[in-house]
Amino acid sequence: MAELDEIIHQPLRLRIMAALNALPAGTGLEFVRLKKLTGATDGNLGAHIETLARAGYVTVDKAFVGKKPQTTVTLAAPGRAAFVRHVAGLQEIIAGAAVKPSDP
Amino acid sequence: MIDRLEAARALDDIENITRRVRQSQIYRLSSLLMILWGALVVLGNLVTYLTPIYADKAWLSVYVLGIAGSVVLGATEKARWGMGSFDVRSLLAFVMFFAFGFFVERIGHFGPREMGAFWPIYFMLFYCLAGLWFGIAFTIFGLSVIALTLIGYVFIGAAFPLWMAVVNGVGLILGGLWMRRS
Repeated sequence: MAELDEIIHQPLRLRIMAALNALPAGTGLEFVRLKKLTGATDGNLGAHIETLARAGYVTVDKAFVGKKPQTTVTLAAPGRAAFVRHVAGLQEIIAGAAVKPSDP
Repeated sequence: MIDRLEAARALDDIENITRRVRQSQIYRLSSLLMILWGALVVLGNLVTYLTPIYADKAWLSVYVLGIAGSVVLGATEKARWGMGSFDVRSLLAFVMFFAFGFFVERIGHFGPREMGAFWPIYFMLFYCLAGLWFGIAFTIFGLSVIALTLIGYVFIGAAFPLWMAVVNGVGLILGGLWMRRS
């Protein structure tokens, strides 16, 4: 029985992970792009990215492009694996199995 | 415990965001192509207006540079995003697009003014069609340029190439910049 990942299960974090998972490995999304795609506010998005980074699911790179700071978020290998497991868990529920979220 | 409804909602959310990411990649590549073609179209129309005897050569150069630039941009974006943006099929699509255009132009015995209207309208038809798959922005842009082209064709006299430089060329550039932000 597949398990749901409590860190990923939170709706905004699920959207962040889904957006990053749609990109090829090693390719990230800029913070502003991610904000637009997920419909989150600056503070909310920042907090959830931090949670995902603490879990080792994403990496955060900060750089200056010209004089503007640019934050890029990339899905890490453990994050991609966790996301795949989480989606499998959701599909199991749809198929009829009861699944309990795992502890973070 | 999570029930089926909640799981289905989460999967819908994932599907929706994945579709939006892919759409934003398409918009990104399209915006670069539109800016490239826009700049070339401005040049083509300016040469047509200022030195009409070089119009044929200018437009041939526009098409060659446009296709070559599109191939380079497609390959660059493919390498960056891993998206299947440009391949032999895309190149063949370009060739067929222009071959059909030249065929219609010849059998229709179009003069310079007709060609000036036909190509942008023909080009924009594909934007309108692309909108059915890749987002309404393409269709809105295509229909706007078609309408302005027809207005220019009917109401603008000798300055028609200048009108088209703005409507089609600058329009493509602005449309590309707008699409980049979408």
